[in-house]
Amino acid sequence: MATIAVPLGGGQSRQEIEAVRRPALSEYLRWSVDHKIIGVQYGVTSLLFFIIGGALAMGIRLELWTPELDFMVSGAAYNSLFTMHGTIMIFLFIIPMWAAYGNFVVPLQLGAKDMAFPWLNAFAFWLIPPAGVVMLLGYFVSPAEAGWTSYPPLSTLFSGDGQTLWALGAHLLGLSSILGSINFIVTILNMRPPEMTIWRMPLLCWAVLATSIIAVMATPFLAGALTLLLLDRMTGTTFFDASGGGDVLLWQNIFWFYSHPAVYIMVLPGMGVLSEVLSIHSRKPVFGYRMVGLSSMAIAIVGFTVWAHHMFTSLQPELRIPFMITTMIIAVPTGIKMFSWLGTIWGGKIRFTSAMLFALGFMSMFVIGGITGVMLAALPFDIHVHDTYFVVSHFHFVLFGGSVFAIYAALYHWFPKITGRMMDETLGRIHFVFTYLGFLITFFPMHIVGMLGMPRRVAVYDPAFTDFNRLISLAAFVLGFSTFIVLYNIARSYFHGPIAGANPWRALTLEWATTSPPPPTNFHDDPIPYEDPYGYGTKAATAYIEAIDMAFDRREAAPSGAD
Amino acid sequence: MTTYIERVEKQKISDQRAAAIRLKNNRLGMNIFQVSWIMAFVALIVVNWQLRFNYSQWPPAGVPPFDLLLPSVATLALLFSSILVAQALKVLRSGFGAAFLVKWRLAIGLGALFMAIIVYEFLNVSAAAMATQYGNTFRLMTGFHFVHALAILAIMCRVYQGANLGKYSGDEHDSWAVEGAAKLWYFVTFAWMLFYVVLYWIR
Amino acid sequence: MANNYGNRPSISPTTIVVAAVYLLVSVVGINWFTTFIPGIFPPQASAESKSVDELFFILMIVGGIVFFLIQGMLLISVIAFRARGDDTSDGPTYHGNMVLEIVWTVIPSLVVVFLAVISFNVWSQNSAPKANVNMVNGASIPINVIGARYAWTHTYETGRLTPNGDAIIINSGANLHTYIGQNVDLSLQTQDVIHSYWVPAMRVKQDLLPGDPRQGGRPTELRFTPVRIEGVVYPAEYPIVCAELCGDGHGRMRGAVIVYEDEAQYLEQFFEPAIHAILNPPADPVLRGEVEIQNYICNSCHVLDSLGWTGLTGPPLNGIADRAGERVPGQSAEEYIANSIWNSGAFRVPGYDQQMAAFGPDVVDAANVMTPEQLYSIVAYLCTQGEQSDCDMENSVTAIPDAIMTVFAMEVDITFGMSDDAAVEDGTPDTGAVEEAAESNAQNDSA
Repeated sequence: MATIAVPLGGGQSRQEIEAVRRPALSEYLRWSVDHKIIGVQYGVTSLLFFIIGGALAMGIRLELWTPELDFMVSGAAYNSLFTMHGTIMIFLFIIPMWAAYGNFVVPLQLGAKDMAFPWLNAFAFWLIPPAGVVMLLGYFVSPAEAGWTSYPPLSTLFSGDGQTLWALGAHLLGLSSILGSINFIVTILNMRPPEMTIWRMPLLCWAVLATSIIAVMATPFLAGALTLLLLDRMTGTTFFDASGGGDVLLWQNIFWFYSHPAVYIMVLPGMGVLSEVLSIHSRKPVFGYRMVGLSSMAIAIVGFTVWAHHMFTSLQPELRIPFMITTMIIAVPTGIKMFSWLGTIWGGKIRFTSAMLFALGFMSMFVIGGITGVMLAALPFDIHVHDTYFVVSHFHFVLFGGSVFAIYAALYHWFPKITGRMMDETLGRIHFVFTYLGFLITFFPMHIVGMLGMPRRVAVYDPAFTDFNRLISLAAFVLGFSTFIVLYNIARSYFHGPIAGANPWRALTLEWATTSPPPPTNFHDDPIPYEDPYGYGTKAATAYIEAIDMAFDRREAAPSGAD
Repeated sequence: MTTYIERVEKQKISDQRAAAIRLKNNRLGMNIFQVSWIMAFVALIVVNWQLRFNYSQWPPAGVPPFDLLLPSVATLALLFSSILVAQALKVLRSGFGAAFLVKWRLAIGLGALFMAIIVYEFLNVSAAAMATQYGNTFRLMTGFHFVHALAILAIMCRVYQGANLGKYSGDEHDSWAVEGAAKLWYFVTFAWMLFYVVLYWIR
Repeated sequence: MANNYGNRPSISPTTIVVAAVYLLVSVVGINWFTTFIPGIFPPQASAESKSVDELFFILMIVGGIVFFLIQGMLLISVIAFRARGDDTSDGPTYHGNMVLEIVWTVIPSLVVVFLAVISFNVWSQNSAPKANVNMVNGASIPINVIGARYAWTHTYETGRLTPNGDAIIINSGANLHTYIGQNVDLSLQTQDVIHSYWVPAMRVKQDLLPGDPRQGGRPTELRFTPVRIEGVVYPAEYPIVCAELCGDGHGRMRGAVIVYEDEAQYLEQFFEPAIHAILNPPADPVLRGEVEIQNYICNSCHVLDSLGWTGLTGPPLNGIADRAGERVPGQSAEEYIANSIWNSGAFRVPGYDQQMAAFGPDVVDAANVMTPEQLYSIVAYLCTQGEQSDCDMENSVTAIPDAIMTVFAMEVDITFGMSDDAAVEDGTPDTGAVEEAAESNAQNDSA
């Protein structure tokens, strides 16, 4: 306790540090096995798909401006809008976006030189662009129109070739996800420095570990389901065709056995980010570190037992009750996280950086998604709101209010490390206000229209809901606009942002104990992690942070970044 | 200032360390892959299982059950092949190159026999069975397994080729390709054992 | 971590005051929340809706407490613990508190158990089979719902027979007729994809699942009991919505539950008139055809203004009689219309690429069975849809049957046309045996 840990083996000269510069643009455009390059490749690709998916969402809201079909040429065209919106946002934005942060940050946090399997890592990334292209190619034949859930027989006997392309694309993305996750698990378990026991690991690593375990165990089920779908579509088998002895619920079972855990694949890394950001920006250790780490695992395990709550209106009535119970249980580990985060910021010295604002926004929005999640688990109530806008609202509170807010928090938090430049905090705050309000006003009223009787996935709806839908659309346009603020901020900060230095947030985790951006080998020597990744407030911690500053020749009083 | 000798020594140690970590990573990665991808086979077992409930009996009425003899021979062949692979790996570790080649070759031969029988079974599903999910899921599962077995047998052949050229030594850091191929073959065997039980024995 | 090492975060008196005020606000707030509940639900039109809404009320209270607790803690933290000015110091090194962690694990667990128990109770109460379902005139009559892209069809097996021994089955199209206190028990089947039958006002929903037609499909069940709502004029109407994506016209797949005040009103305004209409079909084949055509799922794909159809996947039927004679060289208007119904693959209207479902006397799908007589009346009806009909309307009683016989080279010994006394068999087939054939992709090519 008393000894001051020194982050670096020392020995590198000032010239060496200054020689570190940002990789040239061309390095991002070709095959590279450097995890930092791959991380950025993942990130930028995901961001591009985020823009496409967002544009599709704007199309959805334009169509819903009136209760009649007018913006789109047909109901089928509208169906393809939300099908592609859902698929892109899930498979091509959120999941690869976490792979982006995981790739960039996790090896750094572990003090490793790279991922365990650099080649495999690059391969997993390069599966994504072709998969996305294959999926979008559907627009040249007849795009998938069966929703991202693609229930047969709508997706087998009643849809066009775009559905086949959709399944192929999803297949590739699943493969990418499995390969990426194997890499993460091995990296996290094997590549830690000897001083870092599993109980001293940063919580992002815990979250990525839990996520990867889910991904490797669940994604093969998606592969199985998609294989059957492709066979049914292309070779005339009848696995989902009742007239040939098949079963439509078979798809629902196998698909949801993957796709419910996929929700945790999308939100657990966000929870890891929250633990990092909240602790660092309120200068206080994570409250109940062990329980936060273990609750990730608990969510991962319980997450495998709840899938059939997506089938409450189709499953045999006797089988519904057990899934109601498991679904409710999952609220407990989620609650533990929520309360632990509150415990973390409680009594701290909160800096309202953009990253912190989005983290706080996550907490205040995710709790609504959590509450409606328990409501939806309550079977009798779910029967009423199943497949309505209530559900749409619920999962956007989890996946936008949760995952996307965390993605933004992570962006503001790690952008300095990735690019060596700070992001503009003022623009960040403006972005936060627009996103927070736009999001809340877009999605909160959806609960009400859902309960009042508006089903999801309709282009034509009861004119009684027009006012609600106009409010939602207006807010959605504001939300859409807010994305441009952050895009502008990224572009501007990349070129003109203030130089970040090694450790702008004065953090203790190892990714900050190197230059920004880190050199190709990450560290000049094997770094020594601080004994407690979140042990803020002690003299030893302050000394460690100062040692980082000294090592990277930043002798001026370290600013906290903002405020 | 460090001398040249010291630097070389240091480099040697770090190379050894890197090799050790690489092997450790490969082994863990392989284990995770095995646990992960077996889930795809489990998914197909779930398919088989759930579709059974659409029929009052299994195999469905009027469909003759699959013949047991040939597939059991195939299963035994595969099992022996896996055992031979394990022995070959052991032999390699103790440094007997020639015995390794014999055993490995035999393992490939038995694997090929297994696959030949499975192909025969695949092509000879009765029309009555194909009219129901009994035949449908059979082809799905054997076909899915076959694709994996084929790919991994190809890897085994590559390893044989390499071993013939003396590429691998008994040192475990040097022969990951052999170990990896062996582990993939165990995977194929294990997956088939699951399928064998589900397809032929559980009625 | 278990140990309470490090300094505890200090709580100032201000914080306590803020917390107290906040507690007060939340109590008022939760109360205020709950006043919105009736406004965010459709009317409580069934016995089930009452228990569901009560359950929601409890969920809302529990959720409200969690909501105000967490948002409040957040708000307090943000105000009380913000770093002021140029404060660059760190917060206290406080790693956790075992007691607190146990508390916030155990209490939510108990709450969750409590919610699961009450949800289970509501569920077993709502889903329990009821005695005396679908009672009409003291008898229980099966009510079947067929979902097809993109329309609902409701049929009632009355158990009565026509004079010539056929079962009388009422078809009420997209609307379900019931009365207050009737224990409704629907048997739902789909003809194509998965649909979901949702009546928001009743708080019930059930998916329709494709099953094997050879095994009688895969009927699912839905139960509810309408109750009286004060101040509502009966018969009252509540929407039926399709809640599972079923394709292009998913949003248009709607219907209504029509609730009568009591059984007497139900019998008088719906049941008896419907039976009367079946027993006494109009002599004019055109009028019969107008009834017959509505017993099929044509409305799911075709537009026909005179009947209010809005289907989109097939070509419009408006003015079909004007065009029918010119579609296929060598076929008269009557022949063309008959042919395109019974032999739907024969000709495909340009611009419509999906094949219409098969209709005829011996099709697999029982709901699509169509006798020559039914075809005759339907052709007769469609021949009236146009300004200058190509059909031979002068001699429709002989021309149309002749046309049908020409097209199909039929050897039927049925006298087309109406004798005055013979009550024609009801057109609707026995929907209890309705089967789903996946290829009955109700798309059209004709007209």
